Amino acid sequence: MVLEQEIPSFLAWFGPACLSFVLASIFVVLFAGLASWLTQAAQAGPLEAGDRVYRGVLSGIRDLVGTSPGRVWALARLAVQEAIRRNVLMVLAIFAVVMIFAGWFLDPTNVEPMKLYVNFLLSATSFLACTVTLVLSVFSLPADIKSKAIQTVVTKPVHAGEIVLGRFLGFAFIGTVLIGVMGLVSWAFVARSVQHSHTLDATSLRELRDEEGVLTGYEGRTGSAQDHRHFVTLDASGNGLAETFRGHRHRITPRESADGRAYDVGPPEGILEARRPLRGRLRFLDRDGRPAAKGISVGQEWGYRQYIEGGTAAAAIWTFGGIREQDFPDGLPLEMTVRVFRTYKGIITEGIHGTIQLRNPINNLRSEALPIVAREFSIDQLWIPRTLAVVLADGTVKEADLYEDFVADGRVEIWLQCLEPAQYYGVAQADFYLRAGDGSFAVNYFKSCLGAWFSMLIVTSLGVMFSTFLSAPVALVAALSMLLVGQFREFIARLFVSQVTGDSRDVPGGGPIESLYRIVTQMSITLDLDPTPAVQAMKLADIVLLAPMRVAAGLFPSLATLGTSDFVANGFDIPFDLLAAHAAETVGYVVAFCVAATFCLRAREVAS
Amino acid sequence: MVTTVPVPASGPAGAGEVVVETRNLSKVYRDFWGRNKKVALKPLDLEIRRGEIFGLLGPNGSGKTTTLKLLLGLIFPTSGDAFVFGKQATDVSKNARIGYLPEESYLYKFLDAEETLDFYGRLFGMPPAERSRRTAALLTMVGLANDRKRQLREYSKGMTRRIGVAQALINDPELVLLDEPTSGLDPIGTREMKDLIIDLKQRGKTVIMCSHLLADVEDVCDRIAVLHQGELKELGRVEDLLQVTGVTQIRAAGLPAAACEEVRAVLARHGAADIEIGHPRTTLEELFLEVVRDTEARPGRRARSPVTTATEKAQE
Repeated sequence: MVLEQEIPSFLAWFGPACLSFVLASIFVVLFAGLASWLTQAAQAGPLEAGDRVYRGVLSGIRDLVGTSPGRVWALARLAVQEAIRRNVLMVLAIFAVVMIFAGWFLDPTNVEPMKLYVNFLLSATSFLACTVTLVLSVFSLPADIKSKAIQTVVTKPVHAGEIVLGRFLGFAFIGTVLIGVMGLVSWAFVARSVQHSHTLDATSLRELRDEEGVLTGYEGRTGSAQDHRHFVTLDASGNGLAETFRGHRHRITPRESADGRAYDVGPPEGILEARRPLRGRLRFLDRDGRPAAKGISVGQEWGYRQYIEGGTAAAAIWTFGGIREQDFPDGLPLEMTVRVFRTYKGIITEGIHGTIQLRNPINNLRSEALPIVAREFSIDQLWIPRTLAVVLADGTVKEADLYEDFVADGRVEIWLQCLEPAQYYGVAQADFYLRAGDGSFAVNYFKSCLGAWFSMLIVTSLGVMFSTFLSAPVALVAALSMLLVGQFREFIARLFVSQVTGDSRDVPGGGPIESLYRIVTQMSITLDLDPTPAVQAMKLADIVLLAPMRVAAGLFPSLATLGTSDFVANGFDIPFDLLAAHAAETVGYVVAFCVAATFCLRAREVAS
Repeated sequence: MVTTVPVPASGPAGAGEVVVETRNLSKVYRDFWGRNKKVALKPLDLEIRRGEIFGLLGPNGSGKTTTLKLLLGLIFPTSGDAFVFGKQATDVSKNARIGYLPEESYLYKFLDAEETLDFYGRLFGMPPAERSRRTAALLTMVGLANDRKRQLREYSKGMTRRIGVAQALINDPELVLLDEPTSGLDPIGTREMKDLIIDLKQRGKTVIMCSHLLADVEDVCDRIAVLHQGELKELGRVEDLLQVTGVTQIRAAGLPAAACEEVRAVLARHGAADIEIGHPRTTLEELFLEVVRDTEARPGRRARSPVTTATEKAQE
């Protein structure tokens, strides 16, 4: 699974996030205050304008403080009634059609059918729920203002904040129901779609015997199900595993029947899982065994994975911390995804050979190398036993205990090396992990639906905010534009960092002025500019321009970052820290948009 | 609309207490660039006291609805102040004591009558039992008890007006603002609405209504303000404003024709000019209502003229 950035703990994330929130809030308050003052000053003069803005802010705060849950509840009920009587639940029928199409057209022979189903259905759920609540939220208030029904509401003791909150909660409730129903149905669809079983005909198995003719096991293929079959290798007693194919495998057990031996093929393993990984930190050694900042780039533009050269001293080293004997009493369940870059074809059906070693980070004691074969597109599992062999300097071999000899202060290093010269292993930090446990797939699916729910909440509050001062179609376009710009939020943040640090490798091309200069002069973004005073001044101006852009970028929600379907599709448990961060981010946006909406609604005349 | 709703008495109020006050209140509508587009209301000073029925009178576009909206805080004044119960008109807390019937009864069409009143009752924070009681009583009062489960989109204009009245009274308001209250009502509905307004006054409520139907205003209002082109043109008690001081009116029933001539001679002898002796006209509203009442009392028979009826009564 691709995990570009390490997931920080919630507490580590919260501090900087709060700072960004405060900075963005100050930015908005100053901007809105200035705009209000200028508008009022044009009509009433600067002093009167200042007084009006001051009184407006004070009464707005009083408005928010005096919010009545009872009135909010009444307005939320109204929003729900409105939505239901406009047949909004018909969207469930649309979702049913989506499900039918998914059943018809999603390719069950796909290499990774789980990813296909989960990504498609969770995306459809999120898209439909967000679309419905966005349309409801942008059209509702302008429609009320146009029909003047709002006049019978605001002439009751109702605060602007209550109207905003009531609408938001009502439409959010509708969205929640939609996501709940669609999530439940899609979960059942996914679980049912990937479940299958094979048959294994005992007569089709071929006996394996050693040189002395002793039976060592059996091999053969399972029967076909869902357009695929598995190779099976069984031991002499008939127990074994089918080879991993399309991301899953089956356990095979023998039984005696009237016709002789028969085999039971178990349900698919490796899908409908929620692995809880314990991840380490990755560093590299170059081909001469010296520390390197990165591995080798094999020329792919997106450098998520770094490569190590085979047949050299190059190594990828993960340092795992927090390893306790009570968590892994029998050994370390290592799971890994190793990509392969071949400079020559070799035998394409076979993997590339390499080794795994354990190393004590304190006394440098290294275990004997454990052989691995890297295959593409599958998660390889390696059980690191409790007792490992160690080759001493004099060539003798002794046994060493995992916890007594290799784990120091809860830390251990795992070294990966490629054995085949001129072939390369590609790895990223998230590719190696110790399987610390398993969560429930259903719960994990539910957690992923929470991502869609967070998106829906943000979209709804955004729609309500724009609907307080724009007409419905314009509010819809404004909300969509804001969501679109939000997709570039991370880019702007990285661009700012690259400009401030002067390290343009992450985001080459520079800020707005430098980019314009490069466009006009048709200069490639990969070429460095000569550090002349003019260029220095241009870069400084870019930083000045980018600073407010960096702060303003935080105003735009990025729905893509809230999506967690990749975790489910790849069989990983969604970390609580990530979920908590998404929840806090959602709360931040919703509160900010609702407060902004309250002030916008207060500032406008609802009658003309 | 014939039943009177049993409502708790309004809070204690000092007679003559100023309920609504405007000081130099004006409204200018501007375009996007801030340029003046229309002067809707020129500086207006008004005081409306508790227990009054106050009429804002004027042709279309005279500023009466603008005044009402300014008092409700629906729009903001360009200059001046509006106070309701001593609070700024933009202060929403004043709305707890106000009932408002907009011109077209702008309500949520997807709700039924019962849900509508329940919703507005919730906005006032009324407890469920009271909401339920008030809803039932008001629906009976406006004659919609049998249609309480129908969505408002199925209502006729008159029914919509009635449910609008009910929502305006859900909180038993001290001050009722009615924008064109008889608009869209048939003569019976109009009469019932006027009876209701008078009933509200008798229960100590203050009523502000704006209308361009002069007869309606004349029938119910204690005081009126006449607006034209956004400017206050006349303000005072209805009877004072309408009294024609230079003319004397004598009314009598059962006077024979000879006596009429005798009266005319007496008046002429005293120097009276422009003497008119004839039979007074009833109003079309009176005629219509009498016909309806008579038809209901004697189904299947031609209705008797109210004039005839009056003569018969006089002869008896």
